[in-house]
Amino acid sequence: ILFISCSDFQKTLKSEDTAAKFEMASELFDAGKWKKSFRLSEQILQKYRGKPQAEKLTYIHAMCSYHLGDYYIASYHLDKFTDIYPQSEKAEEAAFYAAKGYYYNSPVYSKEQKETVEAIEKLQLFVNEYPNSKYLAEANTLVKELDFKLEKKAFEIAKQYNLIGGYTGDYVASIKSFNNFLLEFPGATLRGDAFYYRFNSAYKLAILSVDYKKEERLKEALDYYQALNKSYPNSVYLEEANILKEELQQELNTFTTKS
Amino acid sequence: GETYLIKEIKVTGNTNFSEQTIIAYSKLRKDEEIQVGGEKIANAVKTLWKSNLFSSIDIYVINIDGSTADLEINLSDLPELKDLTIEGIRKGKKDEVIDENKLKTGQKVTENLIATTKNYLTNKYRKKGFLNTKVKISTSQVIDSVEKERVNMRIDIDKGQKVKIKAINIEGNEKITDKKLRKAMKNTKQKSLSPLRLLKRSKYIEDDFRADLISLVDYYKENGYRDARVISDSITYLDKRNINLDIKVEEGEKYTFGKITFVGNTVYTDQQLSNLLQIKEGDTYNGVELRERIADETNPDANDITNAYQNFGYMFSTINPVEVSAEGNVIDMEIRISEGKPAYFNNVTVVGNDVTNDHVVYREIRTRPGMLYRKADIIRTIRELGQLGYFDAQQITPNVKNPNPVDGTLDVEYSVVEQGSSQIQVQGGYGGGGFIGTLGLSFNNFSIRDLFKKDAYKPVPRGDGQSLALRLQASQFFQTYSFSFSEPWFGGKKPFQMSTSISHSRQFLYNSSTGSADRDKRFNITGLTFGLSTRLSEPDDYFLLSQALSYQHYDLQNYNTGLFTFGDGTSNNLSYTIGLSRNNLYTDPIYPTGGSNFSVSAKFSFPYSLVNGVDYDALADERDEQEETINEYQANPSTNPAVISAYDDAVARRSEIDQERFKWLEFYKIKFKADWYQSLTKKLVLRPSVEFGFLGAYNNSRGVIPFERFFVGGDGLGNFSLDGREVVQLRGYPNQSLSDADGGSIYNKFSLELRYPITLGAQAKIYALSFLEAGSSVNNFKDFDPFKLQRSAGFGLRIFMPAFGLLGIDFGHAFDDAPYGATVKNWETHFIIGQQF
Repeated sequence: ILFISCSDFQKTLKSEDTAAKFEMASELFDAGKWKKSFRLSEQILQKYRGKPQAEKLTYIHAMCSYHLGDYYIASYHLDKFTDIYPQSEKAEEAAFYAAKGYYYNSPVYSKEQKETVEAIEKLQLFVNEYPNSKYLAEANTLVKELDFKLEKKAFEIAKQYNLIGGYTGDYVASIKSFNNFLLEFPGATLRGDAFYYRFNSAYKLAILSVDYKKEERLKEALDYYQALNKSYPNSVYLEEANILKEELQQELNTFTTKS
Repeated sequence: GETYLIKEIKVTGNTNFSEQTIIAYSKLRKDEEIQVGGEKIANAVKTLWKSNLFSSIDIYVINIDGSTADLEINLSDLPELKDLTIEGIRKGKKDEVIDENKLKTGQKVTENLIATTKNYLTNKYRKKGFLNTKVKISTSQVIDSVEKERVNMRIDIDKGQKVKIKAINIEGNEKITDKKLRKAMKNTKQKSLSPLRLLKRSKYIEDDFRADLISLVDYYKENGYRDARVISDSITYLDKRNINLDIKVEEGEKYTFGKITFVGNTVYTDQQLSNLLQIKEGDTYNGVELRERIADETNPDANDITNAYQNFGYMFSTINPVEVSAEGNVIDMEIRISEGKPAYFNNVTVVGNDVTNDHVVYREIRTRPGMLYRKADIIRTIRELGQLGYFDAQQITPNVKNPNPVDGTLDVEYSVVEQGSSQIQVQGGYGGGGFIGTLGLSFNNFSIRDLFKKDAYKPVPRGDGQSLALRLQASQFFQTYSFSFSEPWFGGKKPFQMSTSISHSRQFLYNSSTGSADRDKRFNITGLTFGLSTRLSEPDDYFLLSQALSYQHYDLQNYNTGLFTFGDGTSNNLSYTIGLSRNNLYTDPIYPTGGSNFSVSAKFSFPYSLVNGVDYDALADERDEQEETINEYQANPSTNPAVISAYDDAVARRSEIDQERFKWLEFYKIKFKADWYQSLTKKLVLRPSVEFGFLGAYNNSRGVIPFERFFVGGDGLGNFSLDGREVVQLRGYPNQSLSDADGGSIYNKFSLELRYPITLGAQAKIYALSFLEAGSSVNNFKDFDPFKLQRSAGFGLRIFMPAFGLLGIDFGHAFDDAPYGATVKNWETHFIIGQQF
């Protein structure tokens, strides 16, 4: 167990002895004292440039930023580390944490997803580079999680068009967006939900439709019902969907007999 | 040429650079094969030239010995500039010349430098009208102990005299008068005695003159003279200061439009298109007009043919006017239209919303997937996103992506840049007899559902478009606390705004014996408001209908002022407000450049007097009696105990009556306000506005209430009072000086403001303004005269910074006296804080 007193740390921090700083920085790093290790390593990083110790020091410095939660900086330095020391035994680890740093920068799904896309790319690159990595499973989990974010984003936008359809008088936007969603995310987790909401929007469009387009829209809505029923026979929405379907069917019957 | 192997390279000539440097730079190497006249030597010379360090570079092949040879690079350094003297211009201008031509000490002096400097100076002064400018640049070698080529430079500038145009003579024009042609030349004018043209001087600037010759020809073209041209132009020097310009034109024939046929149109009929074109057969030929009617580049909202198609889905349409015949000076036109498929939006996306959640942005977008493409919808979306205040209005851009003429689809991506929408106001100042401290927080893009999420505090939870405001203000005489919250899309289905606010204020009277606040004499007001408002779709969707229910409780304790005859008592105000407003201001909410904003509202209480069975007529009569007793005593004080006691009784009874009258406030209040914004030029914006307010009573015996009144005059900043009062800005007069001390029950106001933007960047928006205002306030409809107004004029400045809100200063000059006796200064200075109107 390591024991470095506060005064020792302060003394070394203020001293000119780079070797001592290097040693303490690596001891502190091994002990998980990220903040202190970071401060020391930052001081001497420049001095070891081009020297053999630089490899370890760069790694320590970058990983400290990572553990301290400063992911922008960490990913930047870790990326640089793997660039300069591709042969390092820590290269794989650094590459993984660099990618994971991008993952942490990804915001909630309902905001701009630039960082999410970037993180997926970085993780994918890692997976391609190190197909046998021990981090592979985790990397794949992270990618899945990020993919789901993009999926959720598109889904929620399409669903909002359904929600505000009564105000905008536009359910086509929702149907169109769900169709785009299903095209763009073929293996989507929310696929079943999308089928239902697409049908729901089509139902509302048909019921509220002007007469001359009504028949076509009723049929289209029923088609979307069939798609839901066929692909997701156990869908939790089916009960609700059946009620709407009945209504559509009736509407269609009266409409065709009327004309 | 011959090929040799290089044995040695040496450097000769007059240079300060080391041999090694020059050789390395030339990229020539020992033991390398070179060809005489070959590429390598040529490249070496080129590279050395490019360095801009040498005045002459020669490479020789010497000491040829069989297949080997030596190279000699002979070069001399360019001289460096040592001292510079400039004669003929003011000292202040010299630095500008030095900066723009990089004439610093140490600069290498090349022929090019001398030539460009000379041209720069000659042009510079010619552009200012000094046609006879002569510039002479000479250099002289510096001989001193420094072993470097150095020169001193001397620039002599002889501007000569400013040249004026005495006359512009135009020859060859028969159809169009000299006067009209001279007018068409916008920046080249002859000397004139007309006072109207004092600002445009008659100096001669060649570039402007060239441009004006084109304008002149354009003027002909606009009037049907399609072949018109300038045959010659020349300058006659009358003397050193005056020239004449002689222009010879050839007018050619006048052309008219012949048949105009539309080809390829299926969406619009020929008749509809020619209505848009507004050009008929037989009209004077005007190419400029024709172009504008087809596509007016200067106005995105123009009613032209291109927009007719662009606003009807035909994104891929193209329109080309073609002359098909020009027989007998009559030009037949064919407007060839390729309509293409109507385009529909496929993907609609938003990027850049790092803070604001998708649902807040997407619900405002008027171009939704599956909708027909309409350019006007994109323009309106940009305007409306700008008005939210969450994004920098100047930076919202629509990017059309993946336009696919085959499928008839396109994507649009709105790129936004978040801007700070929170404001913090911490203020301390002296006013109202002591120190006033204010703490105001307002968050305009708040997210209440993230209130308990730790991660969301950056520094406050944001992104759901809600607004939350907290305000605390205190001095020794008053304290106010208020809190308000609003959600613009309550329920998420439609723009149905829910807002609520709670406030509490305490006021204390001044104690003249201690000189500070008397805490035993206080007036507390507690209020609660709940409001709903919704956007309407009829008559158009700029309309907003709002309703509010509010309750206020007034609690007085020992608070006797001129305002209240009941010093101890309470009053309640339960009222309902309904308002209709229409706002289509665009684009920037801080600096609108167009649109109008009008609102009309009615606030009223329940008509208690109709149902509560109190005989207010009798009360009013009784109150008059008490008043009489009181007035009698005050006019003629007596020591008779019976009279004193009667007086005391009367005072007490009067407060009792007033307490009865105002226990539950009974009133109605009607307000109207409208303002317009109109761009006069590219930058100037004119804002006329008019407003009116009326406070009335259902039961005249019960009377007009002492609260909810109008206070006209001054900066218009509603201070701490929460008694429903309306503080109306009228600059040039002291605050509230145009109303009775208790406030007026009627007011009207007109104002005219002219605004000029200084900067409209995201960090700070600054504009200057000047204004004319007139308004008045009275207590009685009998006294109301809409034309008897107190007038003022003035000017000011506004600065808006996202973190601080709006700050401003106005200087107003009053033209009339204040009606209630306040002293009116010549100039009144107003500080405007946080007010947005």
